[in-house]
Amino acid sequence: MNDQHEQRLARVLVELADTLVDDFDLLEFLSTLVQRCVELLNVTAAGVVLADQKGGLRMAAASSEQARLVEVLAVQADDGPCLDCVHTGERVLSADLAAETARWPRFVPVALEAGFHAASAVPMRLRHNVIGSLNLLHTGPEVVDEARVSLGQALADVATIGILQQRAVDNSTLLIEQLQTALNSRVVIEQAKGVLSAHGGVDMDRAFNALRSHARSHNLRLSELARTVAEGTADLNAILAVPPHGRPIVEPRRRPQ
Amino acid sequence: MPRPERVWEAEHVVVVRRRPTEGPAMQDHRLRLRALLAGDGTRASPALARICALAVSELAVTGVGVTLLDQPGAIDGQQQLARATDAVAAQLEDLQFTLGEGPGRESVVTGAPVLVPDLADAGARWPAFTAGAQLAGVGAVFSFPLQLGTIGLGSLDCYRTSPGSLSPRQVSSGLVLAELAFEAVLAAVTDHAPDDLGWISDIHVEVHQATGIVMHQQSISMREALMRIRAFAYAHELPLAVVASRIVDRRLTLDADE
Repeated sequence: MNDQHEQRLARVLVELADTLVDDFDLLEFLSTLVQRCVELLNVTAAGVVLADQKGGLRMAAASSEQARLVEVLAVQADDGPCLDCVHTGERVLSADLAAETARWPRFVPVALEAGFHAASAVPMRLRHNVIGSLNLLHTGPEVVDEARVSLGQALADVATIGILQQRAVDNSTLLIEQLQTALNSRVVIEQAKGVLSAHGGVDMDRAFNALRSHARSHNLRLSELARTVAEGTADLNAILAVPPHGRPIVEPRRRPQ
Repeated sequence: MPRPERVWEAEHVVVVRRRPTEGPAMQDHRLRLRALLAGDGTRASPALARICALAVSELAVTGVGVTLLDQPGAIDGQQQLARATDAVAAQLEDLQFTLGEGPGRESVVTGAPVLVPDLADAGARWPAFTAGAQLAGVGAVFSFPLQLGTIGLGSLDCYRTSPGSLSPRQVSSGLVLAELAFEAVLAAVTDHAPDDLGWISDIHVEVHQATGIVMHQQSISMREALMRIRAFAYAHELPLAVVASRIVDRRLTLDADE
């Protein structure tokens, strides 16, 4: 790891710690986490799935809201590295997804179709419970190296601490309430994306980026803004307007080495 | 490992039925609860009443009530008592309606369950409700919202005379039964079969996106939009995910009268 990389890592840790304030929005936090994973770990895409307490896994955050990536995360409710990771509590790696068809019959075709050839999943562990998994996805044929996955695990641990931190949770009741709130907020975000997409004639990724940019530039919580959109009380034109200094965030690209 | 059964394929959407052998015991748990609801032999009793009765035994609580919001989605709408397994459960619903506070109301606002293992701790949270509930002999309350994103229909409110936490499995049962109650309420206000339950457990994100699109296109409520998409899928014998995908891709626009 060179100096520049170390500095970036330090900045990310400070940024994540800074979000752990009173008015903490778990989905916003996880969204930041997966963005930073893509930048720091030099992976193509990243996502977080959470256990829904009903026996399923639900997507909570994705580094891009492109339909294909969302589908790669969603399908792991059936099989895939995240499901295995949540069940075993261990990290799960595959450097060649094409060879894993028998292991993950549903996940592999969807992942390959989306262009991913390697994947890893690290657990988000809270004492005895695994509450979810951080998924790193690669388009390249490069080997999934231990160092990168370990750094991913470190970031997942920071995220898990963040979940605890919000309400000093040594308390399964509060944890359940918090996770269920986040999962319902995720549904609200999807509903809001639909509203914005219909209003502006834009795709779901654009709709999400408009939502997040507007929330950030107006200091609003992502979940609250999404709720006003889905309830039909938000100013949709203002949210969809391109910010004066900058453009909508595009899908993160792999940074040249 | 058995291959999944491919039941429908259209464009890039593939709907695959879950393999019953897969996944943790929780998946079996959901199927078991549904089987219990379907097979209790008292078809005359409404689905919500059966869900309440099952919640009493599965969560090992004293009584259960389902409260519905008069105007779904609007928490200020007048609440209507839908079902209660006993007089105390009915009284708790009445208290929450009269006072405008309590675990069920809070669960609909937050979209998450509100679990209070010891009601004695809730005096600051809901002063009037707590006092009234304690007078009625209530020791613990557990409320699960009937909710899908911004579509809030009401809550499944459980109480026990003695304090004590729910086990993780009991919490899971509460969440699954609230999901089934949500479906039962929607089925009751449409022409669908009353036992048309279980579709939310497989719901795809595109269904939520499509619901937002239809809401905006037709200027209707989110709940109404979801019901129209469901009705279209029913009428055309298509999987919900396929209809949603076509709406999201703009290959299908629902007519206002559909």
